[in-house]
Amino acid sequence: MALQTPTSHEQEWREDLRKVGFVRRLLAGRRWYGTDWWLVAISAVMVLGFITLALFPSVFAPYSPDEQAGPRFLAPGASPDLPVLVSLATSGITELADLAVPTGEPRPSVGVVRGVPTAQALNDRAQELNQELNGTGMELRPRIARFDSLDELLRAVDDGTVVAAVVQSTEFEQLAGDFPTVGEGMSIAGGVSSEGGFILGTNQIGQDVFSRLIWGTRIALLIGFSASIIALVVGVPLGLLAGFTGGMLDRILSVIMDSLYAFPGLILAISITAVLGPSVLNVIVAIAVLYIPTYYRIVRGQTLSVKEELYIEAARSIGARSSEILRKYIYPNVIPSVAIIFSVNVADAILTGAGLSFLGLGLPPDTADWGIDLARGQGFIQNAWWLITFPGFAIMLVVLAFTMMGEGLMEIFNPKLRQR
Amino acid sequence: MEDILYSVRDLNVRYATRSGDVHAVDDVSLDIRRGEILGLVGESGCGKSTFGKAIMRMIRTPGRIDSGELWFDGADLMTYSGRQMQSVRGGEIGMVFQDPMTSLNPVQRVSEHLTETIRTHEPKVSELAATARAEELVEKLGIRRERLDDYPHQLSGGMRQRVMISLALALRAKLVIADEPTTSLDVIVEAKFLDLLRELRDEFDLTILMITHNIGVVAEVADRVAVMYAGRMAEIGDVYGVFAEPKHPYTVGLLNSVPNIDLDAHDLYKMEGAPPNLLSPPSGCPFHPRCPKAMDICAVEIPVLHEVVPGQATACWLYDEVGVAGG
Amino acid sequence: MSPLSLIFLIIGGPAALGLVYIFVRGSAGLRRYIVTRIALTLPMVFILASLVFFVLRVIPGDPVSSALGPKGSPETVARLSEQLGLGDPLLVQYGRFLGSVVTLDFGNSLTGAHRPIVDEMSERFPATLELVIPAAILSLAIGIFGGAFAASRRRRTADYSLRLYSVIIYSLPIFWLGLMLQLLFGVKLGWLPIAGRVDAVIGTTLHHITNIYSIDAILTGNWPALRSVLAHLVLPTLTLGLILSGVFVRLTRINVIETLQQDYVEAARARGIRERVVIYNHALKNAMIPVITLIGLQVAILLAGAVLTETVFSWPGMGRYLVERISSRDYTAVQSVITMFALFVALISLAVDILYSLVDPRVRY
Repeated sequence: MALQTPTSHEQEWREDLRKVGFVRRLLAGRRWYGTDWWLVAISAVMVLGFITLALFPSVFAPYSPDEQAGPRFLAPGASPDLPVLVSLATSGITELADLAVPTGEPRPSVGVVRGVPTAQALNDRAQELNQELNGTGMELRPRIARFDSLDELLRAVDDGTVVAAVVQSTEFEQLAGDFPTVGEGMSIAGGVSSEGGFILGTNQIGQDVFSRLIWGTRIALLIGFSASIIALVVGVPLGLLAGFTGGMLDRILSVIMDSLYAFPGLILAISITAVLGPSVLNVIVAIAVLYIPTYYRIVRGQTLSVKEELYIEAARSIGARSSEILRKYIYPNVIPSVAIIFSVNVADAILTGAGLSFLGLGLPPDTADWGIDLARGQGFIQNAWWLITFPGFAIMLVVLAFTMMGEGLMEIFNPKLRQR
Repeated sequence: MEDILYSVRDLNVRYATRSGDVHAVDDVSLDIRRGEILGLVGESGCGKSTFGKAIMRMIRTPGRIDSGELWFDGADLMTYSGRQMQSVRGGEIGMVFQDPMTSLNPVQRVSEHLTETIRTHEPKVSELAATARAEELVEKLGIRRERLDDYPHQLSGGMRQRVMISLALALRAKLVIADEPTTSLDVIVEAKFLDLLRELRDEFDLTILMITHNIGVVAEVADRVAVMYAGRMAEIGDVYGVFAEPKHPYTVGLLNSVPNIDLDAHDLYKMEGAPPNLLSPPSGCPFHPRCPKAMDICAVEIPVLHEVVPGQATACWLYDEVGVAGG
Repeated sequence: MSPLSLIFLIIGGPAALGLVYIFVRGSAGLRRYIVTRIALTLPMVFILASLVFFVLRVIPGDPVSSALGPKGSPETVARLSEQLGLGDPLLVQYGRFLGSVVTLDFGNSLTGAHRPIVDEMSERFPATLELVIPAAILSLAIGIFGGAFAASRRRRTADYSLRLYSVIIYSLPIFWLGLMLQLLFGVKLGWLPIAGRVDAVIGTTLHHITNIYSIDAILTGNWPALRSVLAHLVLPTLTLGLILSGVFVRLTRINVIETLQQDYVEAARARGIRERVVIYNHALKNAMIPVITLIGLQVAILLAGAVLTETVFSWPGMGRYLVERISSRDYTAVQSVITMFALFVALISLAVDILYSLVDPRVRY
C-alpha cells in the first residue's frame, strides 16, 4: 500500500477522536473510582468557583467592602429601615434635593413623627445638601413640623399641610394602603433605595457582609496560593537535593526541618509576623516558612526510596547522568505526591492565615478579610449572630474544597489503600 | 470404600474486579480421604490458594463462593452460620500459612497465640489450663516450653513454622490445610518440617491438604496429588501413578520442568506460552493454547474430570472417547 | 513554692522515676533507644530556642523603645537596655539567653506590670494544661474508636460518614467552631458560660494551690467552685477536642486498614477468633503503634489550637499570654514563651517516643 499523506479530513477526524478520548477517559474514571471521582470532581468545581470569585469580586459583590452602604447591624434578609421621603404622588417630589427652593422663597415644611430620630437624620442630610447648594442661588432649609402619630402625619401630607414627610420605610409600608395618594420616594440617606439587598446583613459600621465575604476570597486565596507556591519552590528542590546527595548536607537540613516541622505551626507564624510587621507579604512569607518542611520531607523521602532502587539500575546502565535519573525516574514518582500535598497545603495555609488575622496579627486592620471580620464580630455575639456565622462558614467552605480535592486525589493515587 | 473426610462438589469462586469478574475456582470437585496427605499443585494464580481458603469459607469481598457443596464430615459447610463456621475454623479445620513471620501477631507472645485460640473455642478452660496444654503441645513439636514467652520476631524461621502448626493442632483439628508451608524455608529446615508433618499425621490422626507449587515436596510426603490449572482440576490421582505416568499434558509439562541434576543447561524444558488471563480465559479447555497435543475439540468444549486408569482421573479430551474419536 | 514548679514536680517526678525504672529493667536495645531519643531531643530544643533568639534580634530598631513606645523617656530606655544587657555583643547575649533557658529564669516582662515572667507563666501554664489535657483525651477517644470503626466497616456508610466527619472537622477553623458553640450553647440556649475559667464571684472563694482550678477545687472541697470550673471547661475542651479528633480518625483509619490487610489478621480468623476480637485486639493494637508516634506530632497542633481557643474563650492561658505580649511588643516575654513551648513540645515528643518503645515489643527485645 502506498504511503499517503493524511488528508486534512483524516487529520480532523483524528483530532476529534483524541478529544473525545480524553473526555471519555475522564468520564470513564467515574465508574472506575466511584465515590472518590465525585469527590475530586465536586471539589474541583468548587475550587474553580472560588478562584473566579477571587479574581472578579466586583462582578459578584453588590457593594465595595469598605463602603458603609447600609445601616448598622442589619440582620440578614431584613430590609433596611431607612428614613424615606414620602409625598403626594402628584407632587413630583421624590428626593430631598427636590425640596430646594431659590433663596428668599418660602421654606417648605416637612413633617416628622414626634420622638423618632428621623428628624435628626433629616436635619443632617439637609445641611449636607445645603452646603453643596452654596452659591447656586438655591437653598434647602425645610421647616420641620412635628406630629404625634404617623397617621396624623400622613393625613397632613394628603391634605397638603406639609409638602413632604420623612418616615421609616417599614412603618410607612404598614400604613401605605390607607393613603393611596402618598407615594414613597428615595431614602434621604443618599441614593440607596430601600430595596437595597443586604442578603447577609451588615456589620457594626454598616458594611455589607455578603460583599465582604466575596472580597475576602481574594485575600484568602492570595495568601493560600502564594504561601504554598513559595513553600513548594523552596522545599521541593531542597528535598531533592538532600535526598539525592545525602551526607552532611542532608543531615543538617533534616535536623533543621524536623525541628521546624515539630514546632506548632501557628506559633511559628505568629512569631515571624510579629517580627516582620503587619502586611500581606509578611503573612505570606511567614506561612510559607511553615510549610517548607512538609515539602522537604515528602520529597526527600520519595527521592530516597527511588534512589535506593536506582543505584542498582545506575550501576548497570553506566552513562546515565544524574540529571537524567532525576528527570526520568524521580520526578514522575514525586510529582503526584507534591500535587496532593499542594492541595492540602493551600487549605492549611488559608486556615493558618485566617487564624493569624483572627488574632489581630499580620494583616493591616482595614483589609477585607474573614479572620478580621470574625474577630471584630465576636464582640457583638449577643445581638448580631450573622457577623460571626458567615465569615467562618466561608473559611470552612474554601478549606473544605481544597481538602476534599486532596483527599480524593490521594485515594486515587495511593495504591496501598486500594482494596485487594 | 475409602473413608472420605471432606467432599467438595462443584465449587465456584469468583472475584469481582474493576475490569470484570475473575473465575478463580471453576467447577472444582475434590474428595479428601481421611488420614491422607493430599498435595494440591499448580502455577501461581491457578486458584489453589483460593481453593484452600474457600473450603474454610474464608473468602471475603470482593471474592465470593458462587456455588458448590462443602461436605465436611457429613455436613455441608455452605449451610453453616457465621458462628458455626467460627467454631469449625481452628476447631475442625486448621490452616498453616506460608510466611510464619507475617502470620504471627508481632505484639502477641507465642503462648498468648495458643491460649487465645484454645479459650476462644473452649471458653470454660482456665488460663492456667490453657497454658499447660500449650506447653505440652509445643514440646511435642520440638519447641522448648521457655520459648512460649517469646515474641514471634525472637524465633527462627523453622520454629515459627512449628508454632504455626501447633496453632493448627491446638484444638485437635481433623483437617490441616497447609498453604505453601515450606516456601519460605531453606532446604534443610524444609526436610525437617516434612518429617514432622508425617509424624504428626500418624500421631494425631491428621488429614493434610498440602497446597504448594513445589513438586518435590509433594513427591516426598503426599499420598495423592491433584493438579490445578486456570481454576480447573486437570488431574488427580495416586502420587506414584501420576508421577510415573502423567496423563494430562499440563502435568507432563510440569514434571518435565523439574530440573534434573544429570541434565545439561540447554536441555532444560520450558513450557510454551504463558498462564492464561483469568479475566478472559480461553474457550473450551483452558490449557489448549499451550498444549502440544491440542485438538479441535479442545478449543470448543471443556473436558470433564473422569477416571482414566484405576486411582487416576484427568480432564482431557485425549482420554475421552468423544475426543479420541473426534481427533 | 510556685505553682509552675509544683506542676513540674508532680509530672516530672514520677516520669523521671519511671524512666529510671525502665532504664534499669530494660534490655540493652531499649537503653540504647532511650539514650538516642534523649540525645536527639536536646539539639531540637537548642535549635528552636536559638532560632527564636536570633529571629527576634533581627527586628530593626531597638526592642526596648518600641516596647515602651512614646511613654518611654530616653533615660528609662537607656536604663532598661542596660539592665537587659542589650548593648553587649551578640554572642554574650546569646550565652546569657541559653543560661536563662536552663535555669528557667527569664527576667521581667518589658511592658505592663513588669513582673517576673516566670510568675506570669506560673499562673497561665496550668490554665493551658487544664484545657489541653482533657481535649487531648477527648480527641484520642473519638479518633481511635471512630477510626477503628470506620476501618472495620470499609466502603460502607459508616466509613464514608466518618471520613466526611474528619474532612469537615479538619476544614473547620477552630476559632469559628468555638464561636459557633458559644453562640449556640452560650447565647441562644444559655446553658454554658462562654468566657473565663470560673465564675467571677465563686472564683474568689477558690484557694489556688496548683492553679489547675478543677484540682484545686477538689483538693479544697469547694464544690460550687468545681461545678463552675467544669461548666467553664466544657465548651473550650469540646472545641479543641473535636478539631483534633478529625486528625486522629483519619490516622487511625488508615493504619487499621493497612493492618487489617496483614497476614496475621487472616491467620487469626482462620483460627476461629471472632471478628470483633480480631479488629480491636489484634488489628487495633498493632495499628496503634505508628499512631503513638504521631501523637507526638499532634502536640504541635494541640498547642496551636490552644492559642486560638484561649483567645475565643478568653481563657487566661499561655496561648493568650503570647498573643497579648506580642501585641504589646514585649519581646522578652515573647521570647520566653516560645522557648517554653519548644521545651514542652520536645519533652512530649521524647515521652511519646519512650512510650512507643514500651509498646512495640520489637524494640523492647
